[in-house]
Amino acid sequence: MSAARTPIRNPAGEDATGKGRVFKAELDRRRFVQAGAAAGLTLGFTPHVLARLNTAGTSSAADAAKSFAPAAYIRIDASGTTLIVHRSEMGQGARTSCAMLLAEELELPWEEIRIEQADGDPKYGNQNTDGSTTVRLNWQPLREAGAAARTMLVAAAAQGWDVAAGECRAEAGRVLHAGSGRSATYGELAAVAATLDVPEKPMLKDKKDHKILGTPRALVDVPDIVRGQAVYGIDVVRPGMLYASIERCPTIKGTLGSLDPEAALAVPGVKKVLPLEGAAQPFNLNAGVAVVAENTFAALKGRKALQIEWKTGEGLESSGAFRDKLQQLVDGDGKPFRSEGDFAAAKAAAARTLSASFHGPHLVHAPMEPLAATAVVTDEGCEIWAPCQDPMTARQRVAAALELDLAQVTVHVTLLGGGFGRKSKPDFILEAAKIAQQMKGTPIKLTWTREDEVRHGFYRAQNAQKLEATLDESGRLTGWRQHTAFPTILSTFMPGATDPSGFELGMGLTNLPYRIPSIQLESSGIASDVRIGWLRSVCNTFHAHAVNCFVDEIAEAAGKDPVQWRLEMLGEPRKLEFSDRDKPYGLDTGRLSAVIRRCAEVSRWGEKTLAEGVQRGFASHFSFLTYVAATLDASLDEEGKVKVHEVDLVVDCGTVVNPDTVRAQMEGAVVFALSMAFFGEITVENGAVQQSNFHDYPMLRIDQMPRVNVEILDSDAPPSGVGEPGVPPIAPALVNAIAKLTGKRVYDLPLTRAGLA
Amino acid sequence: MAIRMKVNGEERVFDIDPDTPLLWALRDTLGLTGTKYGCGMNRCGACTVHVDGRARRSCILPISRLEGREIVTIEGLSPDGGHPVQKAWEKINVPQCGYCQPGQIMSASALLAETPQPSDEQIDGALQVNICRCGTYQRIRLAVHEAAAELAGETDGEAR
Repeated sequence: MSAARTPIRNPAGEDATGKGRVFKAELDRRRFVQAGAAAGLTLGFTPHVLARLNTAGTSSAADAAKSFAPAAYIRIDASGTTLIVHRSEMGQGARTSCAMLLAEELELPWEEIRIEQADGDPKYGNQNTDGSTTVRLNWQPLREAGAAARTMLVAAAAQGWDVAAGECRAEAGRVLHAGSGRSATYGELAAVAATLDVPEKPMLKDKKDHKILGTPRALVDVPDIVRGQAVYGIDVVRPGMLYASIERCPTIKGTLGSLDPEAALAVPGVKKVLPLEGAAQPFNLNAGVAVVAENTFAALKGRKALQIEWKTGEGLESSGAFRDKLQQLVDGDGKPFRSEGDFAAAKAAAARTLSASFHGPHLVHAPMEPLAATAVVTDEGCEIWAPCQDPMTARQRVAAALELDLAQVTVHVTLLGGGFGRKSKPDFILEAAKIAQQMKGTPIKLTWTREDEVRHGFYRAQNAQKLEATLDESGRLTGWRQHTAFPTILSTFMPGATDPSGFELGMGLTNLPYRIPSIQLESSGIASDVRIGWLRSVCNTFHAHAVNCFVDEIAEAAGKDPVQWRLEMLGEPRKLEFSDRDKPYGLDTGRLSAVIRRCAEVSRWGEKTLAEGVQRGFASHFSFLTYVAATLDASLDEEGKVKVHEVDLVVDCGTVVNPDTVRAQMEGAVVFALSMAFFGEITVENGAVQQSNFHDYPMLRIDQMPRVNVEILDSDAPPSGVGEPGVPPIAPALVNAIAKLTGKRVYDLPLTRAGLA
Repeated sequence: MAIRMKVNGEERVFDIDPDTPLLWALRDTLGLTGTKYGCGMNRCGACTVHVDGRARRSCILPISRLEGREIVTIEGLSPDGGHPVQKAWEKINVPQCGYCQPGQIMSASALLAETPQPSDEQIDGALQVNICRCGTYQRIRLAVHEAAAELAGETDGEAR
């Protein structure tokens, strides 16, 4: 598949004004005509607000002059068509998928598209690239934007040729009139199209006519990536830039005791040492001391020479005691959030009961690109270049912290070298802006080391769960009780928040899909002394883990095959109504059963003769509105360490935009999940994280990579999440395989704790 | 004390702290940002470059030890991105976020220079220094085989 050329470039020094559009992707051979140079069409929608369509305008400068200027995803001028992608790219294919949605309806030849990365701006609607929502939220508005533009271009051509619009059609960036053989490019039609009314409900193409959607497309940035030309946040270069590194207090609420900067200032190339105060939520910054220098190495060397004493605080969180507290919580009664039937009665009447407690540690994101941001503060305001998942929140926080108007803060979004939720937090951007504020006029690039990233994260929360099941004489499950306890993500935004929120409990627990006569779900909160954040798949990882492992135990107790048990307990297809971020959604148990059934078929569950010493585990999970089932084959080596050989994964994510991206995300999810299950563990001692780099927070490597087979089920349902749903079923499938290998169930992750990895 | 070396075929003189790791000299001094920082301690391979034709981790190599050596970075691997490994990476659509991929490509190209037809085990052995957090390992293996086939002149044009 040939890739469109859509580079994010870093033309250091080219931009004399310092205010240029460095991260506006541009084709060298098709440079965008600057503001005012040509009349054109700018089109876009704030999601679902067609009435606010911008019908005219030539460029960003012209847009700014229009009071009604809304989001703008398409710009057409004499030089051609530019697609504006407002979601961040971190490897999940956002830039490619958004461009596919626009290009399909706009009838653009894929090989010739050009893309701009949008700055943070409310006119684009929701830019917070998290929750596996890019395609989900933009499937309709981006197609409608493309269709509206196409309709207007056709109308413009028809008007010019004085023929009926119905006699004209758009194709490959042109409008054609079959009767006369006339044709015009979109660029030629843009000025007239801009004067026309925007269709209120533009006609979308039929699925059978799709040329781009549903076909595998390479990510648009691949040509730049393989040439070393892709620009991530850490790669930004600005004229006259200095480099910064920050030594931070080991605890989030600690403060600076004493600082002697002399030795650091004596390091050649070091320009400044700047103490930075910590900040409470929502800014949520560690206290630190920044070293600003002529290059990164000098900044790092200066940082090592700093003489600092921190007041870290006493009696803060330590992982062992934290685990005990979590266990005490789940041993007691929690706050009920879903109750059906009468669990106490089921327990009293049970022929047999099962009980198990599960534990999972804090986890850190470890994207390959650590955090980095470049900021310059001038009398006009603050301009930022950063690999951020959420540029609007970054803008708002910087404006508030620097006491600027929102309009004075610009955030350019670079490529992200991985995100996994970490880069949705603007702390590193705020730090860069605060340093730049004290060095007005000088662009400052702040680079975090790996150690900084591991020690100053927003962690996936350490957690515990207790599960109880009641069975009758025939082994039938009559009752299910599950108590989950973890520090809530809300604590990151609101001081004092401790209770798990509905949306966290909704991730794999409230929506427990099995038909069980009595269900009792409870939660407990606990305060943590580290920052809690979302990490790929969030609470689904531990909820799906406990549910799937416990299901296998119950099936075994009942003498049933675990796949058969799941299908029986799901029963006839039902639509269960839940809500996600206050929006209702349905969980279709028929779709869940379908991925389970298909996964059993493709993996030849129960039929395939596995190699000697190999055992197979199974798990399934619904998350981000997507259904996934997976089998996993594993064995033990001579040292008793687990080796994973093969994973068969079946996914139903509704209508598929880019099947190659779906496959890639599922393959990657397996690796992400196995890294977590094998090694992932952040421990804390008196509020300070003990790990620091890949030697003590290891990742799966290529020699541990299993073969991953992905099947995507055909579906006409609306598109659902892709980036995250592949992760949750993998660890429980692994642990279910281990139970067969060793005869023992693992209740604590990671596997290193039991010597299995 | 200036340190001289050849970078991507050009003579370069570094008049900076001789303790500076090659990684930062390439990125900050020469502006060659294709070579990435990932760990700073020889644990992730994102900074892999060729030193006299062999894959080395530039984050732990002070420039003081590189006088007169020949360095090739991702930007210099081929004039136009046409190295068989780069072509295979595009064809198989290996990258996700792409941040580790320059390092993966430099490790893979060094492997193929020594072992033109590597087995999966040899690929794993040479590339296990390179972490990919996005998890593209399966495609990396495929792409190395694809590049090996092209180098041997037997590419069938349909790897996947």
